[in-house]
Amino acid sequence: MVIEAVKLSVSYDNTQVIKEVSFTLAEGVVAVVGPNGAGKTTLLKAISGLVSYAGSLKIMNKDLRDFSAEERARLITYVPPLVDVMPDMSVGDLILSDPLVSKELLEEYIELFELSSLLKRRLSKVSSGELSRALLAKGLSKNSKIVALDEPLSHIDLRFQLILLKHLRVLSKGGKLILVASNQLNPLLSYVDRVVALKKGEVVFTGDVASFLRSSTPERIYGVKFEVVFKDGYVDIIPRELA
Amino acid sequence: MCPLMSSLEIFVLWRKRRFLTTLTLSALILAILFFTHLSLGYSVMNPLNVLLSGITQLITGSLGIEGYRVLRALTAVVVGATLALSGYLMQLSTKNPLADPYILGVSSGALFAVSLTLSISGYVLHPLMIGVRTITAFLGGLIAYLATLFIASKAGMSPTSLVLAGVAVGTFFYSASLLPQYFISRDIHKLIAWSMGSFVSPSADALILMISALLLTMSYAFYVRHPLNNLQVSDDFVKQLGWDPARLRRYSTLLASLITSFTVAWFGVIGFVGLAAPHISRRVLKSSELVFVLPTSIILGSALLTASDLLSKVLVAGVEIPVNVIASMIGAPVLALAIVELRRYGY
Ligand SMILES: Nc1ncnc2c1ncn2[C@@H]1O[C@H](COP(=O)(O)OP(=O)(O)O)[C@@H](O)[C@H]1O
Ligand SMILES: [Mg+2]
Repeated sequence: MVIEAVKLSVSYDNTQVIKEVSFTLAEGVVAVVGPNGAGKTTLLKAISGLVSYAGSLKIMNKDLRDFSAEERARLITYVPPLVDVMPDMSVGDLILSDPLVSKELLEEYIELFELSSLLKRRLSKVSSGELSRALLAKGLSKNSKIVALDEPLSHIDLRFQLILLKHLRVLSKGGKLILVASNQLNPLLSYVDRVVALKKGEVVFTGDVASFLRSSTPERIYGVKFEVVFKDGYVDIIPRELA
Repeated sequence: MCPLMSSLEIFVLWRKRRFLTTLTLSALILAILFFTHLSLGYSVMNPLNVLLSGITQLITGSLGIEGYRVLRALTAVVVGATLALSGYLMQLSTKNPLADPYILGVSSGALFAVSLTLSISGYVLHPLMIGVRTITAFLGGLIAYLATLFIASKAGMSPTSLVLAGVAVGTFFYSASLLPQYFISRDIHKLIAWSMGSFVSPSADALILMISALLLTMSYAFYVRHPLNNLQVSDDFVKQLGWDPARLRRYSTLLASLITSFTVAWFGVIGFVGLAAPHISRRVLKSSELVFVLPTSIILGSALLTASDLLSKVLVAGVEIPVNVIASMIGAPVLALAIVELRRYGY
């Protein structure tokens, strides 16, 4: 198992926002879904070593706390949805600011996310989708075994959503575990191997996409009735009405 | 450009070329200002002669007019560099392009502490007091900085709330520092001149100490350049490099307050250089990369203050205008521009 969490809890100011969750995850693309405030970001940050937690979290059979900061930095990458930066930082400055990235991979991701013409542009003058693509290029170029993408689909357009999701599948075949926290079930769930569903800090479901969609979990966590269409290996999730 | 290069390589090359051009030009400007500074004064002298005999005098220890001029020009250069570095570190650690040791109240805190010590001790500008002045200046500056950060954090820590908190703290300490001066009967003119920034009495000891502090702080900043670059983006990125953002801020804050306080202890309050130099550097470089911004800021800070001191001694014949008057008149418009720009980008 790549990740093994046992009674994992995270608290902010004495309020538990991840509540003794236990799960295991192997290589593959994993959708982390759940309503706003369910704890998706917090879970991703705990796995990435960015917030302190109680309970046990094992990465490749080793306690996360036993990794050195440097080892952890190489092994796991967290990519935030957007960032506030100081003015005058350019897209190029941003993606070159991590000494752990590989230049060759960075060039590949500049191609993939079509950033070539944006490198000199100041971050205060790019759109949120462009910033999001730059953050993805920076994060993915680190080539970490575990990649935690926080809301990567929220700002990029449909074309880049497909480019990203198809690419994540390729990466996972190469042995990575990629966590994608998102509520864009369409098109996300057509491209993932597993689903972890969160509600109010608890993991209410882990399993494959079909079992997730056939269960009552989506309706329960979102409070919405869905119609689900399975076609040619893709799924279409249509929100119909409030439950 | 060369078709065999990737867009990333082209960008990296463009950024480096821009840096080297900017650095060369600013160094040239600084050199011209430095030699003009050596040359002008009560009498016009050949700057090369001033430099050569000045250095000889400094080494032998028998200070004449040339030695004095060299010492004063070097002091302006080093204080300018120090304030620029201090401002840059404050901007990085508060993630706020408006931060500057004067704007955030640090200089006034240091000024108040020194002013208070001098009035309590009763004897003014005595050489033995130098150590005491330095330490109290540091404590005063640090306390003022922490007060500003505290008030700003209560007000949401936005760029403008930090500046406003700094104005409140700075005004308090600046006014408070004027009080003790009225209890000191001797040397009141010297003291007031000092509080408004002056290089009229440069000292070789002060210069050596400031250069050491400057080099130490520069080395630290270069050593932590990767986390500092990422501090401009997000604390999570800093953590992902294996650094603790809180500790990084603490050390940067301490060093910035320390080096600012050294300049205040000897040469009084000088505002806006710490804001203007990094701001102009980033703007001209079109980059926020520390490896480029830091050296450019330091040289521009030196140039700004050398120009200010030059004007302060030649603008009115026979009169020394306080250097802060000139520096602020150059620097404050940069603050105004920076505020307008920030608004435009939705801060
Ligand atoms: N820094 C914080 N301090 C206090 N509470 C927080 C903090 N970050 C998030 N929370 C709270 O924790 C809960 C989970 O947040 P988060 O993990 O961001 O949810 P999600 O990403 O699923 O929308 C929410 O109720 C949120 O308000
Ligand atoms: Mg979130």
